[in-house]
Amino acid sequence: MSKQWFLGNLPFSLSRAGSRSALGISTLSTVMMSGLGAAFAWTILSESEAFASAEPRVLSLGGAVTEIVYALDEEDRLVARDTTSSWPPEATELPDVGYLRALSPEGVLSVGPDLILAEEGAGPPEVVDILRAADVAFVSVPDGYTPESVIAKIELVGAALGVEAKSEALAAETRAALADATAQALAHDGQAKRVLFVMSAQGGRIMAAGSGTAAEGIITLAGGENALSGFEGYKPVSDEAIAAAAPDVVLMMDRGGDHSVTDAALFASPALRTTPAARQGRVLRMDGLKLLGFGPRTAEAVTELSAALYGN
Amino acid sequence: MSLEARDIHVWLGSREVLHGVDLSAAAGTLTCIVGPNGSGKTTLLRAVTGDVGYSGSVTLNGSDTRRLRPWQLAAIRAVLPQAATLAFPFTVAEVVRIGLQAGQEGDHAEIVGAALGRVGLAGYAARAFHELSGGEQQRVQLARVLAQVWEPVAEGAPRWLFLDEPVSSLDVGHQIEVLQLARDFADAGGGVVAVMHDLNLSAMFCDRMTCLAKGAIVATGTPAEVMSDTTLSRAYGCTVRVNRTPGNGVPFMLPQAIGG
Amino acid sequence: MLRADRLGRARAMHAVFALLLVVVAVASLGVGATGLGLGDMLRPIAGGAPLSDIERVVLFDIRLPRLLTGIIVGAALAASGAVLQGLFRNPLADPGIIGVSAGAGLGAIVVIVLGGTVAFVPAGPFAVPMAAFLGAWGTTFGLYRVATRGVRTSVATMLLAGIAVAALVGAISGLLIFVANDQQLRDLTFWGLGSLAGASWIKLGATVPVILAATTLACTLGRALNALALGEATAAHVGFAVERVKTLAILSVALGTGAAVAISGGIGFVGIVVPHLLRLATGPDHRALILNSALCGAALLVAADVVARVIVAPTELPIGIVTAVIGAPVFLWILLRQHRWVEG
Repeated sequence: MSKQWFLGNLPFSLSRAGSRSALGISTLSTVMMSGLGAAFAWTILSESEAFASAEPRVLSLGGAVTEIVYALDEEDRLVARDTTSSWPPEATELPDVGYLRALSPEGVLSVGPDLILAEEGAGPPEVVDILRAADVAFVSVPDGYTPESVIAKIELVGAALGVEAKSEALAAETRAALADATAQALAHDGQAKRVLFVMSAQGGRIMAAGSGTAAEGIITLAGGENALSGFEGYKPVSDEAIAAAAPDVVLMMDRGGDHSVTDAALFASPALRTTPAARQGRVLRMDGLKLLGFGPRTAEAVTELSAALYGN
Repeated sequence: MSLEARDIHVWLGSREVLHGVDLSAAAGTLTCIVGPNGSGKTTLLRAVTGDVGYSGSVTLNGSDTRRLRPWQLAAIRAVLPQAATLAFPFTVAEVVRIGLQAGQEGDHAEIVGAALGRVGLAGYAARAFHELSGGEQQRVQLARVLAQVWEPVAEGAPRWLFLDEPVSSLDVGHQIEVLQLARDFADAGGGVVAVMHDLNLSAMFCDRMTCLAKGAIVATGTPAEVMSDTTLSRAYGCTVRVNRTPGNGVPFMLPQAIGG
Repeated sequence: MLRADRLGRARAMHAVFALLLVVVAVASLGVGATGLGLGDMLRPIAGGAPLSDIERVVLFDIRLPRLLTGIIVGAALAASGAVLQGLFRNPLADPGIIGVSAGAGLGAIVVIVLGGTVAFVPAGPFAVPMAAFLGAWGTTFGLYRVATRGVRTSVATMLLAGIAVAALVGAISGLLIFVANDQQLRDLTFWGLGSLAGASWIKLGATVPVILAATTLACTLGRALNALALGEATAAHVGFAVERVKTLAILSVALGTGAAVAISGGIGFVGIVVPHLLRLATGPDHRALILNSALCGAALLVAADVVARVIVAPTELPIGIVTAVIGAPVFLWILLRQHRWVEG
């Protein structure tokens, strides 16, 4: 009787909880980026070894932030991570302090961090206040769905870790990679593909991406066009609206396991049956964190998505 | 010192169920309200005890009952409802104690046992109320009511028992026992007003009788006055023949004597 | 005559349950993810090194406010449950019946979803508990007004209206959930599960007086609620101003539960399970039951919070999950075992 207002199955893992599949290219690029950073930072590294005890112990909250720490080759400083930090695979071996918006103050303190790098929205605010009171530095990294926001995240994390040289190198490299990837993506032939991002299709109810979402950001960067507009965020969308949007491609997160809806089931739904995507059987599944994280792997995600969209 | 109810009207929804009824009861007497089903006898008792809204006036021992606070009323009168429920697993003693503490003898814990003894339930104190039979539960409620006004006269003023069908689910032995108890209370100076279904039992024990039909009084007086062939025939809508017991002339009627 | 003197024994249990609460509270202070133990805390008193900054924060800013929050929330929920069950004459009543939970939920959702973006809707850490409290109050007193004709409050009407209001509030909440974004949705989810993680001295300062007043008021209603067990008419005939008792009971529950839900989110089952088990153990007399419920509710919630904090450290479970995991099976057991007098 007590909680009728509370609707049960809210989408718990929306954007940041990607799967651990899709190794391949992404591992390669991470290794390359880290290697590049390492070359620049040789002197700093040897210096820091001398003052190893003064190195801040870092807690990283948020998938993209953790990826950046790894890309900067500063993962040795990490003492723990949050649930959404699932890449690179080594990161999952770190202690997990839980979901970044529902942190336990003592749980966080128990891993003994001196510095917390947190994606925007980590909390709750009372917990952040307590952490600050305990003399833990807390850096909030703003979110965003553009190449600039990726660069800004890298620079901020680099500055917080005191490795500006490495982060500038990584930022320059990422900027170049992103510019490259987006330029290539936009050089496709013909009209922009209309892409429908499906967050979930549980029970035939399609929850899709509108404007102001990471999904729309990555689709745009990859030279596509969000098939849906006129609403913000991820919302359940009526079957007719999807049919009318006539997407060329359906894009989904690759969740693996039993959560994935089979292509046949997806295209059998009245919403999608009539769409060009269904006629051509075009459904793409990509690693959620890479696709929507807007971190070091975004350029790679752009390339991968545009290649899948336009076949070049 | 008496109960005086004047010109009582009661509306239930848009239907008027009592049409200006008067009721008087003196301390030291047992007054029975009788009448056929739906005649308004329970409604009259509930109006007099303030359980339903009414127009008219009710005074008890000279005070307007509407002006008395609930605890002032509880000190001078106790009310036994027709159907009693109990929401939680209280014991018999706990139920009776609720009555005792509402009255003026709240410090005398021994009254609990005494009241149970009066209703024939000595030794039931520790039993769970819910485990008793319907008749036993009714007598526990009566013990609770008795404990509330244990002394029929307190501080020079009579105390009152209002009983709504107190013997409805009892066997004949306990019916007599309970009505004798009410009789004793009246004889000791208290006032008793009881709604009764059984005319013969009423006639055996009561001093005054008020007969209702269709929300109005048909007759008021001694049982001998009220229980006439014509009055009862009119009230109950069928031909009734009343007889008298040989010795003291108490009126009675047998269903076999009803005929057309 | 053992059962006849249950009240005396139930009152003697006040001391036992108070001791239980103290034991659980001390244990709660000595357990946590950082491994700071009671020995470390007593070190300065024993003449050892003073507490480090971190240790001081863990003790005074994390564990102590959290312990106190657990105590007042548990006490308020369980005492309110006992009062409501007495008022509704039903051992399965819970604050949801009078719209407290629905209203608090609506208040919280309004602030989480609309806070800072719509005129007159504030944002910030204290806006959510404030809104939850106001929502609980507004709903409860709205229902009370609906159920009150003249001077009489119909408990049955209030119950029915409560179901209607819960549905309406559920619909409004659903609408707000629809317009919510991804982060807000997750905030709502976690708010709904309840947690003591947001405990702070400022929130305690705002909540403790309210809950103390509510629980004290609840404890004064014992005799009247006993009489109400015999029905409203009989309660009046044994000397209680029934309408005033109902008003005070609802006031006490709205104050206590409203404040508890506001500070901790939705924590279920404490209000039903604790009074019910106590009724089985020490009898239904409300004069002892309400205070015993408050003490045991506090102990139970503190214990549940220890489990929530420790079992998956360094993360923590929402405490609502722990109480529901304990509460739901007990609730089912009660239903199966006690249905014979539920209908009363």
